[in-house]
Amino acid sequence: MREYTPRISLADADDRILAGRAADGDVEAFTVLVRRHTPRLRAATRLITRSTLEVDDIVQESFVTAWQRLPDLEDQGKVQPWLMRIVTRNAISRVRASRPYQDIDDLYSTASGDTSPDRVVENRAQMAALRETLDGLPSLQRDCWVLREIGGYHYDEIAEQLGTSVSTVRGALARARRHIIVRMEAWR
Amino acid sequence: MNDNHTPRNEHEHVLQEDLDGHTIEELTDYLESGRNPVNPSIEDSPACQRALEGLARLRTLTSTALEEEARSEPDVEEHWLRGVVSSIVAESRVGRRIPISDPDPSADLAITEGAVRGLVRGAEEAVPGVIVGKCRFLGAVEEPGAEIRISLEVSVLYGLPMHSLVTALRREVAKRIEQHSELQLEAVDIRVSDVVTRAKEEERP
Repeated sequence: MREYTPRISLADADDRILAGRAADGDVEAFTVLVRRHTPRLRAATRLITRSTLEVDDIVQESFVTAWQRLPDLEDQGKVQPWLMRIVTRNAISRVRASRPYQDIDDLYSTASGDTSPDRVVENRAQMAALRETLDGLPSLQRDCWVLREIGGYHYDEIAEQLGTSVSTVRGALARARRHIIVRMEAWR
Repeated sequence: MNDNHTPRNEHEHVLQEDLDGHTIEELTDYLESGRNPVNPSIEDSPACQRALEGLARLRTLTSTALEEEARSEPDVEEHWLRGVVSSIVAESRVGRRIPISDPDPSADLAITEGAVRGLVRGAEEAVPGVIVGKCRFLGAVEEPGAEIRISLEVSVLYGLPMHSLVTALRREVAKRIEQHSELQLEAVDIRVSDVVTRAKEEERP
């Protein structure tokens, strides 16, 4: 009796195989990638914007971009960080476009929005605390931090996207980090 | 940047005083380099150590918090998924045009590279335990009767004899190319990029 060999379904395949197929035009493989990565992209986008409608829009737009650019993706095993880059970039552009004005003293101003020091924060609540802290940051610092830490962009790429200099980005990031670390002490 | 109230120097000064002459930027770079080469001035400063610990913790917290948040996201809704998929342009992947000869000289028949890739992927149907990934045609496929190589990336199911699976797949790909195109297949190069272990062993007949 011949032993039965199960097939490997697309859902069992790794990102690399799926991205390779999607780059070759396999829409079904791409659908599996979308299903697999949507929760993470949504979570990241929620850090940047609160509106659920906008989150859906941004994530969808990012997958459309991803489909177009998949053939150019060099390392197809690294789909996740690559998608995070796309989605943070889109989300930041969206948020920036909807801001009524740019903070004049963004770079050197101090953040507001203190979280109470004796708050006990664990697991999921850490995300809420992080979001709250980010919301208290001046917008330039927040944008820089999100692009660097969530999107994984380099300083020069952030400077280019935000239309500023690398040294401004470095300064804004330093201030953002310092602020978040100080707040973080309170989350322990 | 026109902030007249807080001169840059004052801030720089505060930063430096806090961290024994080092800045958060410097410490971030140091952390990202894996604290290598070792900087004794940073390593010996309690203030820097605290800041480094904070920076490292922040990085861990960001990724775990994001992970947690992603896990608690509701399942992806089917209608949303369909919306995304319907907004991509599948036709953007047709690739090169592979000619097919016809007794009628006025006929201009061809098959697209994308379609042939689909046929090659379909070979996995005949070889259970294999899934095909990226597929490349190397050679001048647009020329009638061109000699080409196919390069394939595949995953195989854990515990199966890899060699015989690859051989079976190669044979199936060659058969399909011969049946559906006039390409002269020189070789099928197969690279096994991953071994799949299935989480669930359902659907056994």
